[in-house]
Amino acid sequence: MFLTIQASDKRPVYQQIVDGVKTLIVRGNLRDGMTLPSVRQVAGDLGINLNTVAVAYRQLQEEGFVTVRHGAGAVISSRTPRPVDEAELYQPLRTALTQLILNGLTNREIEEIVHEELALLQQTRSCNGEKGGAQ
Amino acid sequence: MSAPTEFEVTILVTTLVILTSAYSLVRFSWNQPLRNGPGFFLGFEVPEGFYEGPGRAWLKGYRATLVALHLLLLVALGVCFALKRQDLAPLCCGGFALVYVPAVLALHLWTRHKLGTKSPIRAVALSLESRRLGDYISWPMEALYAAIIASSWWVLLRHGAKVDWLPPLLMTWSAIVLPGKIALVRSGAPLPAERTEEHYRYQDAMRRNGIRGLNAWGWLMVVTLCIFPLRQIWPPVALPWLVWIFLGVFTSVFAYMMIVIFRGQRLATTMGRDLHPIGNFATPYRRAPWMGMSRSYLVWFAIWFGGLLALVLYSQFR
Repeated sequence: MFLTIQASDKRPVYQQIVDGVKTLIVRGNLRDGMTLPSVRQVAGDLGINLNTVAVAYRQLQEEGFVTVRHGAGAVISSRTPRPVDEAELYQPLRTALTQLILNGLTNREIEEIVHEELALLQQTRSCNGEKGGAQ
Repeated sequence: MSAPTEFEVTILVTTLVILTSAYSLVRFSWNQPLRNGPGFFLGFEVPEGFYEGPGRAWLKGYRATLVALHLLLLVALGVCFALKRQDLAPLCCGGFALVYVPAVLALHLWTRHKLGTKSPIRAVALSLESRRLGDYISWPMEALYAAIIASSWWVLLRHGAKVDWLPPLLMTWSAIVLPGKIALVRSGAPLPAERTEEHYRYQDAMRRNGIRGLNAWGWLMVVTLCIFPLRQIWPPVALPWLVWIFLGVFTSVFAYMMIVIFRGQRLATTMGRDLHPIGNFATPYRRAPWMGMSRSYLVWFAIWFGGLLALVLYSQFR
């Protein structure tokens, strides 16, 4: 299971790690009880500062995606979504939609993209669900 | 039953070293620069058509260096036998390793300096698999290993008043490979975003094989260390048996070590085709580690190898 970090991405590395882990959770690749590698391992493998990874893990912990257990490291936790206000929830979607419209896509094309992405996500989730069930 | 003479043991050890060196040279080292495919030289990415141009000279230079190093061993052994100083033959074999390893490392350093790619890989993948020491290192085996070393020294200290302490000390020092194994487990490199899964499996196979090689080397040294205390407590009438048992165990562990090394070479060739070897590429976040070795592994290796060299030199010039 891999996270891809893009040097050209405008988001800072810690945010890319946070978003990458969330994506893997949504897709079902990372399930409850699975352990993330240690901060030292991630920082060492990528060649980045320990603090950068620690910040990413702390954010995941604060958002309830992982729990840090002494001796076990960061463990993916069954998440009860914390109450998020509407503006915070919709803001990334609004930004993405604005970007797509500015790039000249029509409403219909945007709808198609959203449907495709949702279908892809659903497919990956059910695939990983089957794998998880088989295990 | 009589024990083999010192001369016969020397011949056996020398033959083993020559045979394995020759096999390794012909089968693996000779074409090692081409191991990762025509797009690479010794693991460093080279431009297309490299082997039709400057690559030929590079390959020729690399092979000439290998031949020169192996000739050095043959000449040294030849001199030993010509002067009837075959007792120095094992020292020549050990000395060969002490010359060969730095020479090959220097060759890599030079190649990296001249051919090492400067352009970083823009997208890197990060594995989310945890690498735990216990998945790579068998702790019960390590405990047994430490217990054998400790009991060997206990016997030596209790019974070995007349023992020359340097050879067992040399063996013990050579056997301290656990820090190297830990450094190997902990060292990792980012993976290219393309063919990530293959790169990951390749990297992990190389890591596991490195640990297996260190294990085998360590056991070879422990087996050799054991002969010193055993000689103290073994009944003198059964001494020939001890020599035969030692030779049998030593040869088996040596054979195992060579199998591990050769298997690792074969794996690297089959799995590494057209893949970036561990850490030969820079990323936006880190420069390429030399030969894929982490800083902690290099520090351990420098201390371990330096200690070995110092002990060997001291044993000869004291």
